[in-house]
Amino acid sequence: MSSLALVLGPAMASLGLGIRRLRARATLILVATALVATVLAYVSALSPSTGPFLAGFVRVDATSRLFLAVINPIFLGISVYVWNRVATTPALEAGIGRFVALALTFLAASNAVLLANHLLILWIALEATTLTAAPLIVRRGVPASQLASFRYFLFSSIALALVMLGIICLARSIEALELQPTFFLDKLESVAGACANNWGKLGLALMILGLGTKLGLAPMYSWLPEAYDQAPPAVTALLGAIQFNVALVVLLRVVHLFRPVHPGLVTFELVAMGLVSMVVSTVSIIATRNMKRLIAYASINHAGVIAIGLGIGKTASYGLLLYVVSNAFIKAILFLTAGKIKAHYLTKDTRQIAGLLKELPYSGLFLMVGTFALLGFPPFGSFFGELLILSALVGSGHLFVFAAFCVLITMTFVATGRTIFPMIWGEPRHSHTWPRQTFLSALPKLFFLFALVVLGIYIPPVVNRLVQQVAASVEGP
Amino acid sequence: MNPLLVALLGVLLIPLFVATWRSSLFGLGCQGVLMALIARQLESTPDTVGDWLALVDLGVVRGFVAPLALYGVLRARKTPGRNDVIPPNLLSWTIALGMVLMSFSFAELLVADSGEQETLVAVAATGVLLGFLVLATQSDPFSQMIGALRIENSIALLELGDKHHDWPLAIQLGLLAVFLVTIAFFRGYLITLTSRRVGGVEESASVGEPTL
Repeated sequence: MSSLALVLGPAMASLGLGIRRLRARATLILVATALVATVLAYVSALSPSTGPFLAGFVRVDATSRLFLAVINPIFLGISVYVWNRVATTPALEAGIGRFVALALTFLAASNAVLLANHLLILWIALEATTLTAAPLIVRRGVPASQLASFRYFLFSSIALALVMLGIICLARSIEALELQPTFFLDKLESVAGACANNWGKLGLALMILGLGTKLGLAPMYSWLPEAYDQAPPAVTALLGAIQFNVALVVLLRVVHLFRPVHPGLVTFELVAMGLVSMVVSTVSIIATRNMKRLIAYASINHAGVIAIGLGIGKTASYGLLLYVVSNAFIKAILFLTAGKIKAHYLTKDTRQIAGLLKELPYSGLFLMVGTFALLGFPPFGSFFGELLILSALVGSGHLFVFAAFCVLITMTFVATGRTIFPMIWGEPRHSHTWPRQTFLSALPKLFFLFALVVLGIYIPPVVNRLVQQVAASVEGP
Repeated sequence: MNPLLVALLGVLLIPLFVATWRSSLFGLGCQGVLMALIARQLESTPDTVGDWLALVDLGVVRGFVAPLALYGVLRARKTPGRNDVIPPNLLSWTIALGMVLMSFSFAELLVADSGEQETLVAVAATGVLLGFLVLATQSDPFSQMIGALRIENSIALLELGDKHHDWPLAIQLGLLAVFLVTIAFFRGYLITLTSRRVGGVEESASVGEPTL
């Protein structure tokens, strides 16, 4: 029941904000709900997996347990950040009720995706995350943010339309064998073998393309840098660290079901999308001078690495999950830090920012650590994740992909370092006096940092077991 | 060949050549109504709430609500009549017609027995491909919305041909709600994006505004 509360709790809290008296305490409600959701997520994560319940529509398996334990604490961190921003910036109080209501609905829908045991419920919940996130991207009085929000909404709609088209094709492939189509994930496991025909192949290809678009993979990735750049930092963190993982869980479920039937198609499509994404993001990282866009392109790059890891499967799976979980914390740290830096310097131009360690020590530190983690340095989980994916590439004989991966990662490393390092260590350009950064403002990022280091140095056995279970479900034959 | 499917194919193609926003919206509305008629033909007597809901979705929501929601905005803005959903040149028209032929060969490959099912798959595939052609060639928000809605309608058509598409009522309601909210969002975006100038000057001025 605790898992159902993860959906109903935030949804009820969001509805409660319709009452004016509660709206006045919106940020408090946000933090309190996020805290309760985090506790419940850990209860679910530590409890054993359950079979389908609620007429078979809900299931708590290893994948849901792992990702509930990742996205809910990240949401809590973002909530604390928002609470602190509103408390220190009175101008932000206007419209905060709307933000909190949408953010809580977003959380409810995200948790619903993780718990759903039915492809169509999963689709509706994923679409609900888009419908709640799109208005959050809009900043009052900024037309470019409206356009970014539209493009995000349009691309997400197309992505999910492709997924729906894929679902219908899969249903037809099952029907072709005179079987009754089912959309329950647990039942699909037993009939997935029927999808070996052309309808099944087409359905799977469309679903992967649609979900890849939702993850920001090439060829339909252009919405991502625009949306991440224009959205307020807290919303960018929601999109990058939470929605990304929620969409990825859907892809993991699809791959788990259909890799045994079409192993070649899964590998080819994911590796191709991953490599092209890495190429376009590397070129864009070299060209951009916008701090948020740089992190956005790095997100596309990471999505590419994840797609390659997932495409290869086998021994890459464990590393892939380590990389995915670390990546969620890295994005949360970097986007929230970018917001703090922009709020102080009033610019996103990397050439205008220098000497962060001297001027904004907390932000400088977080940007430094986040960048090292982003670039896959030890001792972070992203390093081990990348290493395991590379080793699996060699082990599975994908030597061309291995070589291209190494070249692109090196280019990304040089381009990111060239832009970010002067921001951290350079000499401050102007002598500013900043208001002192409070511990509370740094608390969420400290928590993310702690999680990131733990994933790299010592993975608690309970987390390790969960990661291994999820890895086993996606590694394929 | 089913005359309703032939009419649907015509409704998919004609607005590409008659380049006005009114014809695009009229075409969208006709798609919805024709799909409702096809659904009625496939299930002679709608006897469950789900059957009626599917008819309302196709005939009322896709046939009237969606096009009228966008029509109201463009009419209030006194938008000039001309609106190309694909570039008005021989290459685009050839590509569009090529896509129709490709869809029919594609349906032949997918559907084992030729007949109504094959035509339905071919028309649905034509709708999806032409929708993507519109999306790929236009950057104007209205045209992109038309492209997206054409794709959504074609998916609904493919769903109709599914012999076991008796989905639970809650799911049908959920899908309908998602489509209605999508239309509301499109209408909202059309209002804001056609009334304000989107540009660099305003954007750079906004950098100093506090954000969450």
